[in-house]
Amino acid sequence: MWPNNRESQPVFFNLLRIEFPVGAITSIGHRVSGVVLALGTPVLIYLLDASLRSAQDYEWVRALLNTAPVKGLVLLTIWAFAHHFFAGIRHLLMDIDVGSSLPAARLSAWLVNIAGVGVALLGGGMLL
Amino acid sequence: MRFSIYRFNPEQDSAPYMQHYDIALQPEDRMLLDALVRIKAADDSLTFRRSCREGVCGSDAMNINGRNGLACVTRIVELKEPVELRPLPSFPVIRDLVVDMTQFFKQYHSIRPYLINDEAAPQKERLQSPEDREKLDGLYECILCACCTSQCPSSWWNPDRFVGPAGLLQAYRFIIDSRDRATQERLEDLNDPYRLFRCRSIMNCTEVCPRGLSPSRAIEKIRLMMVKHSL
Repeated sequence: MWPNNRESQPVFFNLLRIEFPVGAITSIGHRVSGVVLALGTPVLIYLLDASLRSAQDYEWVRALLNTAPVKGLVLLTIWAFAHHFFAGIRHLLMDIDVGSSLPAARLSAWLVNIAGVGVALLGGGMLL
Repeated sequence: MRFSIYRFNPEQDSAPYMQHYDIALQPEDRMLLDALVRIKAADDSLTFRRSCREGVCGSDAMNINGRNGLACVTRIVELKEPVELRPLPSFPVIRDLVVDMTQFFKQYHSIRPYLINDEAAPQKERLQSPEDREKLDGLYECILCACCTSQCPSSWWNPDRFVGPAGLLQAYRFIIDSRDRATQERLEDLNDPYRLFRCRSIMNCTEVCPRGLSPSRAIEKIRLMMVKHSL
């Protein structure tokens, strides 16, 4: 935090009291989705590997995917992938000066947020 | 009108608290600063900075209903009640709405905010074409109020290492100035994972700039110049 020589100096830093514009929400989502992907990808690879091992293991993975908590996690991972993907494309475009004006950035942030949730709902509907 | 204002007096208070005020505004009170002055007339212990009262000096930057802005150019009619006023987020509070801006100005000075040109000075002045002068539009107008830097998450976490949007806007103002001769040095100084590249293009800075400037755009242009210079 800020160098503070006087212990008595407070700092106003209550994130619940600070407004977050849509771009900030997209950015937080980008970071959260990155963490979810980093944690979730090894699990998904393990499940894929397990499902290919034998018919019995395949059934086990299928049964596992049919439980409510795992369905939720799969939905979360689909959202994470979609949000991270779209937010990444948005950043790449902004890096080459495309859509970096405030109105365009606001619009693209909304689109990323909506597309992430939309893909999760669509994918979830198809998979689950 | 109802206000809820952050209060802290280091000589009396062990912790900050929110104080409520109900103030009868007059027809001539149009801006938030007018209301603050009226509150101060009723309670002279309330402390805040102000000077020009027209969005030029940048003194009365504060967090207004969660969003940084200048009290003198914020219309009262556009504010939701109770109006919550707090000091700029993440800056140490000296008293009430007055914050310590030492770190902010340290970063500003680090970008060497002045023309660097060792060539012999002409008799009158260093001239600039109207086209080159135009490149400074949207940059020179910054009043260093710190609204942007104080709303920037990258500055929150790394205020000592990340220059921050205000400093980087000023950096670009000198990089792009046709009279400056230190472009390469300036770009090299900023080519650092923290000083420039800690910006995550969140654009909170551009969202809250009371002058309508775009520090995020300036940061992107610096990045693009770095790419061009490295090719």
